[in-house]
Amino acid sequence: MAGLQYVLKRLALMVPTFVLVMIIIFLLVRLLPGDPAIAIAGDKASDADLAAIREKLGLNDPLLVQFWLFFTNTLQGDLGRSIMMRTSVSSVIIERLPTTGFLALFAVSLSLLIAGPLAFVAALNRGRWPDTVIRTVFQVGLSMPVFYIGLILLTFLAAQLRWFPVGGSGDGFFGQLYYLFLPSMTVALYTSAIIMRNLRAAIIEVLDAEYVQFARAKGLPNRLILGRHVLRNALISTITLLGLSIGNLMSGTLVTETVFAVPGLGRLMLEAIFARDYPLIQGLTLTFAILVSVVFLLTDLFQSLLDPRMRLT
Amino acid sequence: MTRTLMAAALAATTALVMPVAAQERGGTMNFARYDGSRLIDPIYADRNPDIWMVGSLFDTLLRSSDDGKSIVGGLAESFEVSEDGKTVKLMLQSGLKFADGSALEADDVLFSLDRARNGDLGPWSGMLGSVSDVTADGNTITVSLSQPDPTILSMLATFNTAIVNKDVFEAAEGATDQEKSAAIFATASAGVGSGAFYMCGFEQGASMDFCANEHHWEMGADGKPLPYLDKVHFEIIPDDATRILKLQAGEVDAVEFVPFSRVAELDADPAINMNLYPSTRIIYSPINTRETRADGSANPLNDVRVRQAINYATNKDALIGLVLQGAGQPMTAPLMSSSTRLASKLDLYSYDMDKAMALVKEAGIEAGTKVTLTTLAGSSDDATIFAALQQMWAPLGIDLVVEQVDGATRGAKNRSGEFDIHTYGWVDDVNDPSQVTGWLGYSPVRNAVGTGWESDKFNALFEASGTEMDQAARAQQYADMQKIYADAAPLLFMYETPFSVAVSTAVDGYVQTPLGANIFSRATVSK
Amino acid sequence: MSDAVVTSAKSSDAPLSRVQLALRKPGFLIGAVIIGFSTLLALFPSFFAPYDPNFIDYLAVRQPPSWAHPFGTDMLGRDALSRVIHAYTVNMQMAILATVFALTIGVTVGALVGYYRGVADMIFGRVVDAIITFPFLVLVIAVVAVLGPGLINMYIAITLVGWVYYARLMRAEVIAQMGNDYASAGIVMGYSDRRIIFRHLLPNAITPVIVYWMTDMALAILLGSSLGYLGLGAQPPQAEWGVLIAEGRNFITTAWWLSLMPGIAIVITGLGFSLIGDGLADLLRPRG
Repeated sequence: MAGLQYVLKRLALMVPTFVLVMIIIFLLVRLLPGDPAIAIAGDKASDADLAAIREKLGLNDPLLVQFWLFFTNTLQGDLGRSIMMRTSVSSVIIERLPTTGFLALFAVSLSLLIAGPLAFVAALNRGRWPDTVIRTVFQVGLSMPVFYIGLILLTFLAAQLRWFPVGGSGDGFFGQLYYLFLPSMTVALYTSAIIMRNLRAAIIEVLDAEYVQFARAKGLPNRLILGRHVLRNALISTITLLGLSIGNLMSGTLVTETVFAVPGLGRLMLEAIFARDYPLIQGLTLTFAILVSVVFLLTDLFQSLLDPRMRLT
Repeated sequence: MTRTLMAAALAATTALVMPVAAQERGGTMNFARYDGSRLIDPIYADRNPDIWMVGSLFDTLLRSSDDGKSIVGGLAESFEVSEDGKTVKLMLQSGLKFADGSALEADDVLFSLDRARNGDLGPWSGMLGSVSDVTADGNTITVSLSQPDPTILSMLATFNTAIVNKDVFEAAEGATDQEKSAAIFATASAGVGSGAFYMCGFEQGASMDFCANEHHWEMGADGKPLPYLDKVHFEIIPDDATRILKLQAGEVDAVEFVPFSRVAELDADPAINMNLYPSTRIIYSPINTRETRADGSANPLNDVRVRQAINYATNKDALIGLVLQGAGQPMTAPLMSSSTRLASKLDLYSYDMDKAMALVKEAGIEAGTKVTLTTLAGSSDDATIFAALQQMWAPLGIDLVVEQVDGATRGAKNRSGEFDIHTYGWVDDVNDPSQVTGWLGYSPVRNAVGTGWESDKFNALFEASGTEMDQAARAQQYADMQKIYADAAPLLFMYETPFSVAVSTAVDGYVQTPLGANIFSRATVSK
Repeated sequence: MSDAVVTSAKSSDAPLSRVQLALRKPGFLIGAVIIGFSTLLALFPSFFAPYDPNFIDYLAVRQPPSWAHPFGTDMLGRDALSRVIHAYTVNMQMAILATVFALTIGVTVGALVGYYRGVADMIFGRVVDAIITFPFLVLVIAVVAVLGPGLINMYIAITLVGWVYYARLMRAEVIAQMGNDYASAGIVMGYSDRRIIFRHLLPNAITPVIVYWMTDMALAILLGSSLGYLGLGAQPPQAEWGVLIAEGRNFITTAWWLSLMPGIAIVITGLGFSLIGDGLADLLRPRG
């Protein structure tokens, strides 16, 4: 019962957040320098053409009117028409969403697969060579720009060795698995470094905790300690971190999709920003915001399930 | 590089003249583009990635000859201009069909031309401003003009007057012409055009497919309809390095817009042909010539001597070496590329530091005069240009600083005059010098490409040339305009660049025209 | 916030022994050496660089590494080593300036909100949620686009977005610490809020924040170089690692040294911050 109440409360709290999100999006997009009419009509258009386009788009209306229109339309699920794509924003987003979703989930899976076991190995061998090697490698990974990792993977694994395709998104599940492996790996190398680092610290913290040391002193087998205390705590912190870094993950896909020519939401976002495509930028940021807040909600619920202290009051 | 250029041109011509016994047919050409098409409709295409694809899907009544110097027949097999220059009669070929097999008739031509000159629709209607009426009598189309127009034949060979299917258009979903056009494009309707291809697949911003139009009227060397290919598959890959890697990995057959810094490397690759197609593209920088800057401060560039000085102080050959790795040439015509018709061939401010120094001394430029160069953010070419100009102009006492903006902001600054100098480029859309000349010099169009430069004499010449049917007289007007413009130097005259397209050795017969159009109709990919 | 750091050091029973302990760890020592040397390069680039980093030599373009040019020359014939060295100034500056304001604001707000809760917490919760709901890079790019490209605007953008992450982390830690006996003991004993927050909660709660800060400095360099690469950060001819990589990436197969060397500089510097972060994590770990 208390759980349901918490969920409802948490959902209710999302309402003001979203109003705020929409205000931020709207204002940011309106403050961008450059004229969307030029983006539509091109540099060669006459001033009269531009004025007509501005009028048609309602860019001459007062800001408040424009916001109200944006707000009410969005609530009705109408995100407007993309200026550069010349079609409805929602259809473009729905078309691209699966690719980015696949990329993100693939990257998360890879990160966990990489980081999980290695973090345990590192923590259990703290201070010895496996720990040093693992941490050094991950720290190097953490210190590389995403586009640089992408370019290196692309140049060597795809172009030189031809193990993977250079770009594109592939068809079907296995096609996507094949095409999106390198892009996902690029994002995952980065994410897994963060997870590994945190997980290792969490495990060590638990291992050092008095109750665990006490359990050890009592002669409980290591496996039992790991299972009972370490795993649970490690899971909480990892899920929290993953939830927190969903935004970073999305930022990662933004650059990665561009380098690997993956037609997803991230690449679309950059294109929309450079093309001053107001409706598309608004729609995309909103989509990202929804994705991220759903992940946050799930993280919060999960966390409160395991650690009631964290519940909002 | 010259070798491959020649070879490419040769390949294109041999494909046209030499009858080949066993013409290779079929297959798919995979083409990696730098940017995607958004709407390929003759009258709405306004970005180069759209404009340059119109010709593959839609035929025009007339065409530019392969050398670009004259006009030849297209859908119209013959044409004649009346004595007074006010009527053009065109004879449609018989038996023309759209890609879905339905007949292309005079009705479609009337519909298309009415659409093209409708000022409420696309951005190009002004180019047909002289047309007062279009009528049809059987297969004969008569275009009546309100005044003589020397550009009319070029216009009928330009993408915006391409023929669309009236029936398909009227049947399409949507209340307005724009909505119908978007609906047709979105559903990749086969019957809308009569070009060598029809669109058979489209994913916005990601990929696009052109399939062979088996009803196309133009015949290949083997006597069967063009194109030779079954299909062209386009992938959009904005990142230069990735695009090239795809070619090197054999995933695509061709990549466009190869950065010039990579040309030599790809040229050396035995599996790749590096083609440099002559273009009408010019790279120049408008100079703000107004007395004061937008912020009210005095503008040193208002002095023509200073503008001439920076032109003299710019070592174009060094710039071409740095930016284009030699794959280009300095501008020789001040208002257009050297391959545009009626282009003058002038000695356009060859590098001369002494003259430059004398001019700034005369103009009284103080050391440390700040001038801002506005460049495109993320463009490595622009970054190079800035670094080079900064060093080249330092001896003049000019302290060049950079301001990086994105394309939309640069466009807005050009309009508002909030710049000193900014990088810019141009490619002709029409096979006639009037468009580029109006853009760069005729102040009523756009303040002479935003420079604020204005010359009554120039404007009068431009207006007169608009109705001048005498070829020699028109050529003289253009020569005069170019002379005036060169002396006033409202631009930093930079260079001309070719279109760089790298193709695998399996590809033959692909061409990009000087106007940029991608021509796939005679392309083949050997298996 | 320097106040807080001082108190944190004071609160430890024997600070010197901890420092000695940390310095005995090879990781921390290496990190300190790297960052120390990087700082030297950043402060005195002209002393270390053999050439003027902006001097163009048309005749020596993209020369491979040699004795005269250990890192080769770039596409304008500029000495690549000198450019990488001069970039230290900008990039080290990024690590500090892009994070320190976010840290200060975030820690203060997070601690206050975590301690007082109530309406302020609700409001900040919404603001934080709203900002954190955007992908970081998207919001930063948007803010830079609004403010205009350039280093200072980039710092403002990163701070405007980045403080939230510190605040969120700090708030969670403070709330967790509030559950501990010493906090309730402080309240029972009638200590002032200021004293409880800054002398008791903050020193104990700040460890993960400091560790995150070290990571964030490395992140700031990466983010800064990404923005430089997009043309929104450092402006040419200013040498900056991201800009240098972007310039060199087209030549990755023919002139590999152009993108490799700045990449190595980023990795090493980032590594330095990470190692120090790890060392600090050990050093600052609260003891009972």
